[in-house]
Amino acid sequence: MLQNTGIPTKEDIAGVTPSLERRSKGPVAVIECYQKIPCNPCYTSCKFGAIKEFKDINDRPEVDFDKCTGCGQCVVNCPGLSIFIIDESYSDKEALVKIPYEFLPLPGEGSFVTALNREGEPVCRAKVVKIQNAKYQDRTPVVSLTVPKEYSMEVRFFNIEDYFSDNTYVCRCEELTMGELRDLIRMGYRSVDEIKRISRAGMGPCQGRTCRQLIMQELAKATNQDMKDMPMTTFRPPVKTIKLGALLGGDKDE
Amino acid sequence: MKMTEIAIVGGGPAGLSAAVSAAASGARVTLIERDDHLGGQLKKQTHMFFGSKKQYASTRGVDIADILQEQLAKYKDRVEIMTDATVIGIYEDGILTIEQNNKYIKMQPQRIVVATGASEKFLTFPNNDMPGIYGAGAVQTLMNVYGVKPGNNVLMVGAGNIGLIVSYQLMQAGVTVKAIIDAAPRIGGYLVHASKIRRMGIPILTSHTVKYAHGKDSLEKVTICKLDEKFQPIPGTEQDIEADVMCISVGLSPLAELLWQIGCKMTFVPELGGHVPLRNGEMETSLKGIYIAGDVAGIEEASSAMVEGRLAGLCAAKGLGYEAENYEDLRKDCLEQLNSLRSGPVGEKILKGLSKVTA
Ligand SMILES: Cc1cc2nc3c(=O)[nH]c(=O)nc-3n(C[C@H](O)[C@H](O)[C@H](O)COP(=O)(O)OP(=O)(O)OC[C@H]3O[C@@H](n4cnc5c(N)ncnc54)[C@H](O)[C@@H]3O)c2cc1C
Ligand code: SF4
Ligand code: SF4
Repeated sequence: MLQNTGIPTKEDIAGVTPSLERRSKGPVAVIECYQKIPCNPCYTSCKFGAIKEFKDINDRPEVDFDKCTGCGQCVVNCPGLSIFIIDESYSDKEALVKIPYEFLPLPGEGSFVTALNREGEPVCRAKVVKIQNAKYQDRTPVVSLTVPKEYSMEVRFFNIEDYFSDNTYVCRCEELTMGELRDLIRMGYRSVDEIKRISRAGMGPCQGRTCRQLIMQELAKATNQDMKDMPMTTFRPPVKTIKLGALLGGDKDE
Repeated sequence: MKMTEIAIVGGGPAGLSAAVSAAASGARVTLIERDDHLGGQLKKQTHMFFGSKKQYASTRGVDIADILQEQLAKYKDRVEIMTDATVIGIYEDGILTIEQNNKYIKMQPQRIVVATGASEKFLTFPNNDMPGIYGAGAVQTLMNVYGVKPGNNVLMVGAGNIGLIVSYQLMQAGVTVKAIIDAAPRIGGYLVHASKIRRMGIPILTSHTVKYAHGKDSLEKVTICKLDEKFQPIPGTEQDIEADVMCISVGLSPLAELLWQIGCKMTFVPELGGHVPLRNGEMETSLKGIYIAGDVAGIEEASSAMVEGRLAGLCAAKGLGYEAENYEDLRKDCLEQLNSLRSGPVGEKILKGLSKVTA
């Protein structure tokens, strides 16, 4: 429970989540401030009247999602750093999550980081698409991450280290990185063979000796399966790359 | 003997605010601070503060200290600031004694505002004297005043606002916080602070306490254990946490020695952190001309400390015949701000405590 651990419950979160319809329309503020405390800058900083008037300074913020433009002014004014901007209109598959981040070094725009959930557990890989750090933000930079849409209401922090590093090669021959592999798994490719066909992983000089096991491990983890239950790839000759000429020449005796 | 109209002891948010409002009313003020700088706790607070605009919400504590000092600078001609100056005694005849750079100074003010803040509570467990075990205040001073990293792996004891905020600042400084533990079953600090630390992956373990500190020359490991509803250790729940720093942040108590010395009526109010002076609606103690403001009057927040300071300064000046032009409005505004800050569930405890000490 929030009171014991600092982690809000599903019900807590449901109570502050804008509808899917609203989220898909464009940026919107999600305010995760669940306790009555003497604090009101979210309300006083919103120029669009999107946060219901605080009759009492201890009121909890209530967002009128239709009025909220997702401008982010409240994000940098909230001393609790409990406001996030979610934009599910960002692309077909990805949502934008804007997170206040008061740490150095700041990640570079374009770099990849590890997105974390409200418990600080790694959720997925995220790309840093923008860093806002203007003077009016008073040293509370806001980092915009792109994450798969289904994680928009889960990702609330990040680690600058790229655990799911795209830079880590799973298949060195055909240059498939961990990040690309995870993207493929997310897109629904669920066996080593499917992944081989779409990415060529395992079709290079080593013929899968490096990547086969790694891909299976990753798949097992992502689909919650035991390694021993994972289907094996189909093995076909040749077991090493050979020149086509060698085949064309045929066998002397043929 | 030095003379002044209003002596203010302590240059934290409460003392600074008292100095501003007293000087604005027209009184001559001497502000006495034991540190080499003004600002008190604010100087170490790099995070944004809560409250409303009037208490500088969303502004970082350290910047609020600067804002208050700028306000005070407007009344330069009426304000004397003494830093590195500790008030070491207040006597029944109203004389203050001060130590400044090894010099002993006597001062006779006509009114005194005591705004000395608070001191940290400590815990008893085996080896609690081992190097590496600090109060949260010391860790903050090392880090934010002197720029020294206190260690590499910290166990934070106490999940009140201070424990939560100092943990956050430690992480900002690149120190790993292994866990935050608290004997209470619930997190005492604001939950937004707790959530922001939890999402960095730091576990917050409520109903846990320190059982033992281990180490050869300095702290290496801490054994913690779980507590039942009666705060009794549950056997078999011990676990070891490797840490070279343990940071104790289990609450503050009002720093009221000077008020005891001079003979103010005091009473023990757990809701306000310990022994506190009785006071009236103008922040005046049982002794005429002795006012209080801020944490020494009851552990609360900088927001309320500033408002209490304003009120005390205003009333102390009025007592000397310096009535601010819009005195009544200003006084009412202070009271309204205090009421509003204390009106929610977090303020319930404070109000309960105050009801025991306010005449
Ligand atoms: C880590 C931390 C985080 C906090 N965060 C917040 C927050 O987010 N929002 C908020 O509103 N509040 C916050 N607070 C609380 C706030 O800092 C205090 O409530 C506030 O500083 C109290 O003000 P004060 O002026 O009474 O005391 P202090 O700030 O403690 O100032 C007292 C001053 O008196 C001086 N002094 C003491 N004795 C003597 C003497 N004998 N002679 C001369 N000088 C003396 C001291 O050196 C000190 O400068 C936080 C506190 C801490 C420790
Ligand atoms: S994002 Fe902008 S419009 Fe929306 S609540 Fe925050 S300040 Fe108001
Ligand atoms: S500013 Fe942030 S912490 Fe304060 S009430 Fe609003 S959402 Fe909560």
